Amino acid sequence: MKFDTIIIGGGLAGMVAGIALQKAGQKTAIISTGQNALHFFSGTFESLQEPTPRIKELIEEAGIRLHYGQGVRLMPMGTFQPSALCLEDVDIFPDAHFGRRVLIVNFMGYHDFFSSFLSEGLEKQGMECRIRFLNLPEMEQLLQSPSEMRSVQIARTMDRIWEKVVQEIRVLLKDDDTVVLPQVFGLKDPSVPGRIRQGIPAKVVFAGTLPPSVPGVRTQMQLRKRYEVLGGTYLMGDEALEAHVHNGMVHSIVTRNLDSHYLEADNFVLSTGSFFSKGLRSNPERIWEPVFGLDVEYPEDRNGWYSPSFADDQPYMGYGVKTDARLHGVADGEPLKNLYAAGSILGVTHPELGSAAGLAIRSALAVADAILCHSERSEESN
Amino acid sequence: MKLQEYTQSRANFEECMKCTVCTAYCPVLQVNPLYPGPKQAGPDGERLRLKDPYFFNYALKYCLNCKRCEVACPSGVHVADLIQTARIKYDKSNPKLRDRILASTDFMGKMVRPVAPIANVATGLGITKTVLDATLKIDHRRQFPAYSGRSFEGWLKRRAKEQAAFPEQVAYFHGCYVNYNYPQLGKDLVKVMNALGIGVQLLDKEKCCGIAMITNGMSKEATKHANHNVAVLQKAVDAGLKVVTTSSTCVFTIRDEYPGVLGVDNAAVHDAIFMATRLIYEKLEKGATLKFKADYHKKIAYHTPCHMEKLGWGVFSENLMRMIPGVEFTVLDSACCGIAGTYGFKKENYEASQAIGAPLFAQIQSVNPDIVACDCETCKWQIEMSTGYKVMNPISILAEALAD
Amino acid sequence: MNPDEFDVIIIGGGITGAGTQRDCAMRGLRTLLIEKSDIATGATGRNHGLLHSGARYAVNDPESARECIEENMILRRIAAHCIDETDGLFITLPEDDLAYQQTFVQSCQAAGINAEIIDPDLARRLEPSVNPALIGAVKVPDGSVDPFRLCAANMLDAKLRGGQVRLHTDVTGFIREGDTIKGVHTRSRATGEEKDYYASVVVNAGGIWGHNIAQMAGVQVGMFPAKGALLIFAHRVNNMVINRCRKPSNADILVPGDTVCIIGTTSTRIPFEECDEVAVTPDEVNLLISEGSLLAPSLSSTRILRAYAGVRPLVSADNDPSGRNISRGIVCLDHETRDGLKGFVTITGGKLMTYRLMAEMATDCVCRKLGVDKACETATTPLPGSEERSYEAVAQKIWESPSTAQKAAAARMGTRASRIRTGDRRDEALICECEEVSVGEINAAIERMEVSTLTDLRRRTRVGMGTCQGEFCACRAAGLLAKAHGCIARERADLNDFLQERWKGNFPIGWGDTLREAEYTQWVYKHVLGV
Repeated sequence: MKFDTIIIGGGLAGMVAGIALQKAGQKTAIISTGQNALHFFSGTFESLQEPTPRIKELIEEAGIRLHYGQGVRLMPMGTFQPSALCLEDVDIFPDAHFGRRVLIVNFMGYHDFFSSFLSEGLEKQGMECRIRFLNLPEMEQLLQSPSEMRSVQIARTMDRIWEKVVQEIRVLLKDDDTVVLPQVFGLKDPSVPGRIRQGIPAKVVFAGTLPPSVPGVRTQMQLRKRYEVLGGTYLMGDEALEAHVHNGMVHSIVTRNLDSHYLEADNFVLSTGSFFSKGLRSNPERIWEPVFGLDVEYPEDRNGWYSPSFADDQPYMGYGVKTDARLHGVADGEPLKNLYAAGSILGVTHPELGSAAGLAIRSALAVADAILCHSERSEESN
Repeated sequence: MKLQEYTQSRANFEECMKCTVCTAYCPVLQVNPLYPGPKQAGPDGERLRLKDPYFFNYALKYCLNCKRCEVACPSGVHVADLIQTARIKYDKSNPKLRDRILASTDFMGKMVRPVAPIANVATGLGITKTVLDATLKIDHRRQFPAYSGRSFEGWLKRRAKEQAAFPEQVAYFHGCYVNYNYPQLGKDLVKVMNALGIGVQLLDKEKCCGIAMITNGMSKEATKHANHNVAVLQKAVDAGLKVVTTSSTCVFTIRDEYPGVLGVDNAAVHDAIFMATRLIYEKLEKGATLKFKADYHKKIAYHTPCHMEKLGWGVFSENLMRMIPGVEFTVLDSACCGIAGTYGFKKENYEASQAIGAPLFAQIQSVNPDIVACDCETCKWQIEMSTGYKVMNPISILAEALAD
Repeated sequence: MNPDEFDVIIIGGGITGAGTQRDCAMRGLRTLLIEKSDIATGATGRNHGLLHSGARYAVNDPESARECIEENMILRRIAAHCIDETDGLFITLPEDDLAYQQTFVQSCQAAGINAEIIDPDLARRLEPSVNPALIGAVKVPDGSVDPFRLCAANMLDAKLRGGQVRLHTDVTGFIREGDTIKGVHTRSRATGEEKDYYASVVVNAGGIWGHNIAQMAGVQVGMFPAKGALLIFAHRVNNMVINRCRKPSNADILVPGDTVCIIGTTSTRIPFEECDEVAVTPDEVNLLISEGSLLAPSLSSTRILRAYAGVRPLVSADNDPSGRNISRGIVCLDHETRDGLKGFVTITGGKLMTYRLMAEMATDCVCRKLGVDKACETATTPLPGSEERSYEAVAQKIWESPSTAQKAAAARMGTRASRIRTGDRRDEALICECEEVSVGEINAAIERMEVSTLTDLRRRTRVGMGTCQGEFCACRAAGLLAKAHGCIARERADLNDFLQERWKGNFPIGWGDTLREAEYTQWVYKHVLGV
């Protein structure tokens, strides 16, 4: 099968690159080893940088509702982190004082939403907090399963009964000016968080839960749908195993599911993520990129890969594949002319550079532009 | 010995990062709180079972074996294989008569075929359904697939000479459904293949792939079938033949379940058996052509069967149908129809089965296609019964669209 | 009576201290146990968890071997829920001398250990993970013992018999009148509160830290810290203990323990200053993997969960300052007769296996001093939780059709699993999914088992001991602890300590899936939850 561009890795970077390329009229495929890190998405695309209109447009065209502006957002443990571009569910506050009297609402028997830590964190900021638990008969079925009182399962129920939850909260509401709710709303229908806000006569703040992230799963579905509507081919559950490279050009790749049926393309994008997603692999002696064997820089002594302190930035999390200035992947010191790298596999996650999601989007767009610009030039020269 | 080169041990469950993604995609979890879910039933439970089989949980039987957990898993864990393997290893209860009957698809086919008209009427009768429901716990709301009076094998045997005349040959693993219930699909395949200049042969006595046996606790019987089929496929491979099927579940079982769940070595034949749509697509890509009717105006909605999702081959069926001029083509959202082979036939699973399929049925209704396309026979039964829409295998659609 | 006055104060919450407290309590004494950290934090919780048959010592140290097999049989009776009766193999590999097998078996038999030479083929069938190249195999009654559970059960029994326990409390000095120890000064690590406790006898059961405790009391006990490094693999590769049939050496024991297995150990003398923070070096890790793979080849590709090290207290036999003459056996010192210091006893040496015997010897000494004449009954009285031999029986008695988590709880708690509150589905929710630990089980531990931190909770319930190393359960359990203790700020700090403690054991083996998991944990806690 032949495509203009094949994108290896179907996370945020891969999908953004795919959408940008499809929009420009390319025929592309995304190969994704299962679901991706959007399932652990905190809801913030950009933590520091003001997003460009192009980025906003690309995301909003997928039906994703956004908030933007510089400020901070509330974290599930009651702390605050900087934020500049978020999903609509995630509020951006100018500073950490967003209310005076806060009602925190949790579900009875739900352990993945940290109401007590939230309350302590908000009280530290001078807010008065009280916690109430909802006990809804519709949740009984979920409670029957010891392990599956999880965000996404609750969200499925909430998709049906969110209006009832709004009613219950209205009853609980006294003189509270703010209500904090877990992010378990709007799994399928992105308008639900907004409608909950309209239904409650107080400021409504959604705080995250343990994974899976409901807004993240929704975002993944929306981006994938958008990509497919644009005509992209999303090969879910397949894995790129090796590449055929001649004269510094990638010719085709071999995947686990399609085995002898090679996938060919003019250009390739590598957006396979970091260690978790197996974009990088490691053993006691080395760290490598498994599909193209791109160069990775890291200290030889394993002790240098880590900081013994959990709280520190971990050096290994900053490792990534080597690229040239135009994000071509570099193997044995030489750039591969039609291979580009985007997203976490670049390994430049650093707080000063903003969130990993922001890096994913920006690098994916840069790669898409490089591919389109290059194709234009080769068309002109023909 | 290279130490800890990469921890890809046979204990593949250790690659599980406990990320919980699989739990978001398990169709059973959404409807049945008694099922522990793929994470608990699979990699988490495995560690306890390795300590002591006593920790085996009989609720693993609620697993549909749809493999959606495996498709979703970012770590490549064979979650569903772990669950099915655990059932084989630790479930000491004997399969019920009902399950044996449901699982013995080829045996039933052989027995019923000569009396097909009577059998079809009988299984359709309210009284029979009530009896099946009461005695065997086969749900009375189920529609049974009709049995055909003449087998596909007989039909193709009679045409063996004519087929042998084609310059290129493939062998066809037709499966129980084509042979006993719906020979027309086999005939459609022959039509499409012939149009490409390819003759179709039978294998040297295939047996049921065994998937229903695997999921009904009859692993010994399934292993016998697997060994037999691997030997049969080997003969075809030795004769230089590629083997095609029209059932995503048969080919998936032979390629993946034989080694993954039954531990049957199929390495020598693994790469020789394909979905027919993949082979046809590859032929067309290499320059072969098919001539389609000019006036085939159909709205087709494609449902990718779970096992097709797992194989990753839906793209071939999709691309083929998109090639037919005049076809308005939609891919339905990735979702399980709920039947999962024999699962939905069981009285205790009926409600769950229909609830799992509900979103898919609703989407079909809203798309309102002329035909639902699907590569799996049990999905076909489920969708036809639950929506009233006509379901056709992509091969049959191709055959119908071919210019005469 | 003064509530701060006891018959006996035991310093040290390892297995020796807990066992001594239990024995003293069973003989009717009023006891107080003081531990600077948590139970089983020293050598007790940092070894293989091997229920020695004694075979390992049979050739070189027949006395230890005899003690081991006797205690082995006793523990099977009194500590059923802490013990897994797996049996063990001593295998001879092609590079080993098969002739040693004869010496070995004869020595075992002389010590009363039932050692049976079996056909290598049978060994391969009994233990499919064993190195198939083996040329000889001996079956012995080894097993595994969960040291945390054993220690907790001893402490609990002492408590049930009126004993008191102060964990996370430092002994800052002794109350001394002339040549007699009268009690101890203490300071709580949690609150900083300083308090004095009085007792007729103080027992020093501080393990390697007993060296300093003795010094504080003005007497010398010559101890030498020896570090031993071990690795935990992520699942149970073997179901029988596997040893090498040769002179004891590094990394030649592989023990299945609960849902994991453990290879060890190395042995290196270290300075006293390093006792509190022992780190596992890459060289030790490499040695453990390569030697371990000779016992069970699949270890070379099995995910490693943690690396950790313990410090064994080696005791010089005769106050020899060079430490060359190490006593292998139990050392019970009555400092009155030895040093002229009244009211002070040191119990040290020995091993996890012989803790009960050590406790008996220490308690006998205490009783002599107090003039109490009551026989020791610890060898025949089951520990709380161990009244049934099998967890199947326990689970079946408590629940009609036990869930996996309930079965797992029965395996961890024994008959005490009946204390888990039932009737409310919310108590059945899993906090730790890897090890199947429910809300109910955690609350039962918090109520009865002296839990102040997440790490304490881990030692009592296995929360956070599974594959994900606390990724999901740590913050859930922190929520429960915050609720129980009513101090959220403290719990926040505790959660950070717990994550740090888990990471400490992960990074020495940080590659492959362990590194993937570590990255995910970093992501979840820092970027998703915002700890």
